[in-house]
Amino acid sequence: MPDSLHVKVFRFNPDRDVEPRFDNFEVPVFDNMALLDVVMHIQNCLDRSLSFRFSCRIGMCGSCAMYVNGRARLVCRTQVSSLRTQDITIMPLPNFPIIRDLVVDMAPFFEKWKKIKPYYVSNKEISEPVVVRPGSGEREIIDDMLDCITCGCCYSACSMVATNSEYLGPAALNRAYTLIADKRDAIRVERLKTVDRSYGVWRCHTQFNCAEVCPKNIVPTRSIQNLKRRCVLHKFGIVK
Amino acid sequence: MHAWTWLLQRISAVILLVALGWHIALLHFSNGGAPLSYNDILTRLKTPALLSLDVLLLIFGLYHACYGLYSVFLDFDSTTKQRVVVLVLLIAIGLGFAGFGVFGLVSIVFSS
Repeated sequence: MPDSLHVKVFRFNPDRDVEPRFDNFEVPVFDNMALLDVVMHIQNCLDRSLSFRFSCRIGMCGSCAMYVNGRARLVCRTQVSSLRTQDITIMPLPNFPIIRDLVVDMAPFFEKWKKIKPYYVSNKEISEPVVVRPGSGEREIIDDMLDCITCGCCYSACSMVATNSEYLGPAALNRAYTLIADKRDAIRVERLKTVDRSYGVWRCHTQFNCAEVCPKNIVPTRSIQNLKRRCVLHKFGIVK
Repeated sequence: MHAWTWLLQRISAVILLVALGWHIALLHFSNGGAPLSYNDILTRLKTPALLSLDVLLLIFGLYHACYGLYSVFLDFDSTTKQRVVVLVLLIAIGLGFAGFGVFGLVSIVFSS
């Protein structure tokens, strides 16, 4: 393991800077060092003005996603050693407006998240308790997709999000799928209509960039393809 | 609407795979690799099955291409007016080429 890292950090303060720049730092390495330790060392010891966002430090909150060495990652869950290089370039997530340095504005992401009504709506005709059994096929489909922590990595990696500002994006569509696939949900048809639009599922070209970067190993592309299939079957009247 | 056009695009892809494979095999490999003469092709086009194959290839190829182009256009931010203009333009081009192609094939078959 090298003694130190050459770290290049994206800097931009919209209130003060005309254009972005990169600052270079030498950061000492220690065992099991995570990328979050790198940016914290820079802020604590080298440049206190560096802005970045983090919270839980254990990969649960999804707030510390950054673009490191050409890939969106949760910096709290990425070991420096896993990068296999001394040279590290840290940038804010692509496809998001920059607030300052490594902090991005998540508003566009959550605006789209809200469009699909990301909450369960109970069906009044079904008497409680209604359980989707753990071993059922339906549960198996939904379970894998439920781990999303809304970190925005998939959104930042999606080339359709980059070119089409209306596209709902992988995270919102994945969330919509977990609810549409749940037979207890009362507004499945309404949700299906929301995603069955030009800027909904039909913009996904199955490039799998979202799946490639998801820190929770979710495959939103799979959810989106399932949604496309469901839209077609709904048009035929095969599924309601 | 999107569901139907998407499904048709998938169906056209499968048809293209089969029809294009068949077309290439007939055109380039059926004669032992030797080039076909104009008369050979004319004789083949007079076979209803092969004529139908070429018409199918033309129509589904054009649909697949036009849908693909429109899809690429939609990948970028656009206004409703721009979308309508591009859609109408692509439908006109698709129908125009399809009509021209079918007319060409039929004229060749019935010309001699």
